[in-house]
Amino acid sequence: MATTRSLSDGTALRDENVLRRVRQLGSGRDGLGEWQLQRKTALALIPLALYFVASMLRLAVSDELTAAQWLSSPVPALLTILFVIALFAHAIVGLRSVLLDYVHTRGRLLAAELLLRALVIVLAGASVLAVLKLFLAR
Amino acid sequence: MERPLSPFMFPVWYRFQITSALSILHRLTGIALAIGSMLLTWWLVAVAAGGQVFAATHAFIASPFGVLLLFLWSVAFFYHLCNGVRHLAWDAGYGFELRQAFFGSYAVLVATVVLTALAWLPLWLI
Repeated sequence: MATTRSLSDGTALRDENVLRRVRQLGSGRDGLGEWQLQRKTALALIPLALYFVASMLRLAVSDELTAAQWLSSPVPALLTILFVIALFAHAIVGLRSVLLDYVHTRGRLLAAELLLRALVIVLAGASVLAVLKLFLAR
Repeated sequence: MERPLSPFMFPVWYRFQITSALSILHRLTGIALAIGSMLLTWWLVAVAAGGQVFAATHAFIASPFGVLLLFLWSVAFFYHLCNGVRHLAWDAGYGFELRQAFFGSYAVLVATVVLTALAWLPLWLI
């Protein structure tokens, strides 16, 4: 299976360009980009999430000062921000595909998608802001 | 026309198989992790806010219910991580033979248990 040939193998064209030309054989719209985003964020999340969870196991029940000191140091602050961005980008693709599968009315789907995006953007923004506040105040 | 809509297959037409069970579990743990990430944001905000907000958050997380949530969250995380690596292997074109699919399924389950134990045993022993 690993030897599957795609049109783009023999040319400098990337998959998305080829797909736009051969509409009958693949998505000519933005499905591929979303598919790739899910995989790229998944790859980024392997080290980022492992680092964050390993740190969390120490910190989850620690006191305020320890937690604030950890979050305000440069490396944990940077990696936490990257983790949160990758996490919510990954979550939005995954949760959206769940909605696409189970919400069958167009209006409800649109409402659910907008609500989901708004919620995730607020959560991601609040997380980044919280870390930035601690980092800038150090 | 009345066409079948997802998830019509699962309980009625589909024989139980480890592969399909793990597949739906990947989605369920993904949803659980997304919900858990709200607690993550809350914790980050609480550390930044400090004072009473942090104290209340800390009390919640350190309570038996909070620790149970953390434990379930870690199980979901390690499962989603291991099975996600399996998905990435599939995307690269590997692991589609029936024997590999079954081996991968059990490998993911064992890895989840081992990683969860590795994460929690040190905390429990202290």
